[in-house]
Amino acid sequence: MNDLTTDLAVELSGVSKKYRYFTLEEIHLKLPRGQIMGLIGANGAGKSTTIRVLMGLVHQDSGEVRVLGHSMPAEQVAAKWDIGFASEDMRLYDSMTLDWHMRFMRSIFPNWDPAYAQLLLKRFGLRAEQQIKGISHGQRVKAALLLVLARKPQLLVLDEPTTGLDPVARHEVLRELTGVMAEEGRSILFSSHNTQDVEQISDQITFIDRGRIIDSMDKETYLDRWRRLRLEVPLGIELPPLPGIVGVQRQGRLAVATSNAFAPDLAHAYEDTGVRVQSIESMTLEEIFVANVEHSREEVEA
Amino acid sequence: MSSSVIGHLILKDWRLNRLLISLSIGVGLIALVIAQYAGEVPRVVGAVWFFVSLCILGSMLPGSAILNERKKQTLAFVMSLPVSSVQYSIAKALSTTVMFLVPWLTLLISALVLIETRHAMPHGIIPMLLILAMLPLIGFCLISATALVGESEGWLMAASILCNSSYWLVWYLLARIPSLTANWTRPVAVWNSAALIVLSVELGSIASIVGLAFFLQSRKRDFI
Repeated sequence: MNDLTTDLAVELSGVSKKYRYFTLEEIHLKLPRGQIMGLIGANGAGKSTTIRVLMGLVHQDSGEVRVLGHSMPAEQVAAKWDIGFASEDMRLYDSMTLDWHMRFMRSIFPNWDPAYAQLLLKRFGLRAEQQIKGISHGQRVKAALLLVLARKPQLLVLDEPTTGLDPVARHEVLRELTGVMAEEGRSILFSSHNTQDVEQISDQITFIDRGRIIDSMDKETYLDRWRRLRLEVPLGIELPPLPGIVGVQRQGRLAVATSNAFAPDLAHAYEDTGVRVQSIESMTLEEIFVANVEHSREEVEA
Repeated sequence: MSSSVIGHLILKDWRLNRLLISLSIGVGLIALVIAQYAGEVPRVVGAVWFFVSLCILGSMLPGSAILNERKKQTLAFVMSLPVSSVQYSIAKALSTTVMFLVPWLTLLISALVLIETRHAMPHGIIPMLLILAMLPLIGFCLISATALVGESEGWLMAASILCNSSYWLVWYLLARIPSLTANWTRPVAVWNSAALIVLSVELGSIASIVGLAFFLQSRKRDFI
């Protein structure tokens, strides 16, 4: 049902949405088919709004949204046959059992895979006959994911799927999401403020802050390009402003410089000015995210 | 294919609200049983219970079927299915209307059968029965439209209070129209111009409420 002629699962071009106290500004986003993109942002950064726009639940004021080749929100019905959507604030019907929900989904989606649904029940430790109101938050999240995954959609859109889950449940969910990618052409876009989850399974990572996308690239490039340099600055020497340095913190003779475009030449450039490079450290995704946000906010405020 | 999804959504709502529907039918039928006993007190008690069961259903059903989907955060689940916001609204309007019409028609037909077979009341009451029975239907439409468009418990409560407090006033005003009340005790139903005008106004009100609700709903840009 989806348009297989496009290589992109998701494409947002210049998407803006204005609210009274929040604006999503000129969002450009591309997720190629067969990849997992993690959308990282602090609370209120615009992750959920972006996801709602791409699901057609919120209409953008300007810009174009295409999902699986369908223009959104106009073609949302056709697109949704192949999109599995779950969000942290999504609830199932309390008075009904998981089995009722599974039968409900099965009656709608021809792709529903009953064998896979049974397998997921087992893997997630869920009981089909149990009423939703009697299960824990973690089980509820896993139940919602089961309903999405057993449909076998081409694209999974998950808004904070791991929020509030214990480490074991998180591991189960992430393992299942990785398993989804075993089938060719399937894609996942998921948002989180947990950088560990994103780092664990994503191919592409997008940082969003205050309604703007501040960076978007593949995970390996992030981890390769971002470095922290610990420097010793002799008295009387000023740290030169070098290209690729996005932040410097100085305390007396010691300084820490953060680079978003590290190359060995950068260390040599410091040493040429008399600064001693004590160490060059890799950064975790969380550190990269925080540095990126701080740099972006400084740029906006300047 | 979307029409089948709308069908599934209607069946889902029916399943979720069947207890409320059964209860209202049960209370309404008990009221009719009471009303058939001779004497003014059983008739008044039965008639009041009969209308109250429809008024309460008309107030509770929109909250249970429409607003609860937002309140209990199941709307995102429904909207993840292949339906647009307009199709969702159509499904909601159809399901709540059917869920109201089933008990409404059941009770109305039961009342007519009772009048016809048991001669508990004169046939002259039939036009007034229909006119009065239309009021909870109008109230239900107004409350449902408010729940669908207003999306908040405050609006729902306001519409509910407005309707429930207006029923008695409208009944009082209708009872003061001589051409309606003059025929109550006749052995045959009299469909005079006053009865037909009131019924037309009632049907027109329903059409206006439904039309306005869909117009406002189709203009919405944000659904969740």
